[in-house]
Amino acid sequence: MLYVYAFVSAPASLPDVSGVGGSPLGARRIDVLDAVVSEHELPVDASETAVLEHARVVEALAGANEGVLPARFGGMHADEAALSAAVAGRELVEALGRVRGCVELGLRVLGAAGSQASAATGAEYMRARLERRRKLERLADELHVPLAALARDSTLALGTTPRLLLTAAYLVPRGDVEAFGETVASLQAAHPELGIVCTGPWPPYSFAIAAEERS
Amino acid sequence: MSELSPAAQHDVTLLELVDRVLNKGVVVSGDITLSVADVDLVYVGLRVLLASVGTIERLQAELP
Repeated sequence: MLYVYAFVSAPASLPDVSGVGGSPLGARRIDVLDAVVSEHELPVDASETAVLEHARVVEALAGANEGVLPARFGGMHADEAALSAAVAGRELVEALGRVRGCVELGLRVLGAAGSQASAATGAEYMRARLERRRKLERLADELHVPLAALARDSTLALGTTPRLLLTAAYLVPRGDVEAFGETVASLQAAHPELGIVCTGPWPPYSFAIAAEERS
Repeated sequence: MSELSPAAQHDVTLLELVDRVLNKGVVVSGDITLSVADVDLVYVGLRVLLASVGTIERLQAELP
């Protein structure tokens, strides 16, 4: 069966790295795209090593090709015909066009945004909850909005855990990564009470599918 | 870029990487994908468990 790493514009430029379990990389032409795959007798097991091997292949493909549409870990197809059939009707060419020339930058903001634990009554609880929501929205205005302005696209999640206040991803043209980093640094300087962690550049995993399909 | 220690930054970077590889990216319908349980196992293996309790709380402890 075929294990899929990513889709690139055909012809794929295959980097000199091996795939999951040391398997060699190959390309399977689907219309104007190449699916970058490796062949396996058995389904690939989910393991830390396999996840990191998948990531390494996608990273290397991003370096060797103009644009890359990363596949989620674990996608396998019985054979080339099954892969082609599964891809038919998916707007992968459009998706590749959206991310071309861009990298993804990740942002996590840690800090305190008020506790709900001390609320004694239902009304107090609701008030505390509303207050936290407002605080998170203000934070998004101050941190996310200026960064999103530098990006072609972005995702945002607020208050995922009590202290993880903001999680975001930005699709940034390669040439604008430095300016993005400088903006993050100035936001951190303006908010010493927060831990702002910017990671990347990543291949555009978070933008590989259209906004309306994202979970 | 932030107040976090290099070790903590490394943890966040690994978390961000695993998050992307396991939860983002194209899923081509009709393919044989991993079950949620498989994905959870990877997280446990990496001991990040999306760190809603683990890594992130510990990172928070390092903040001023």
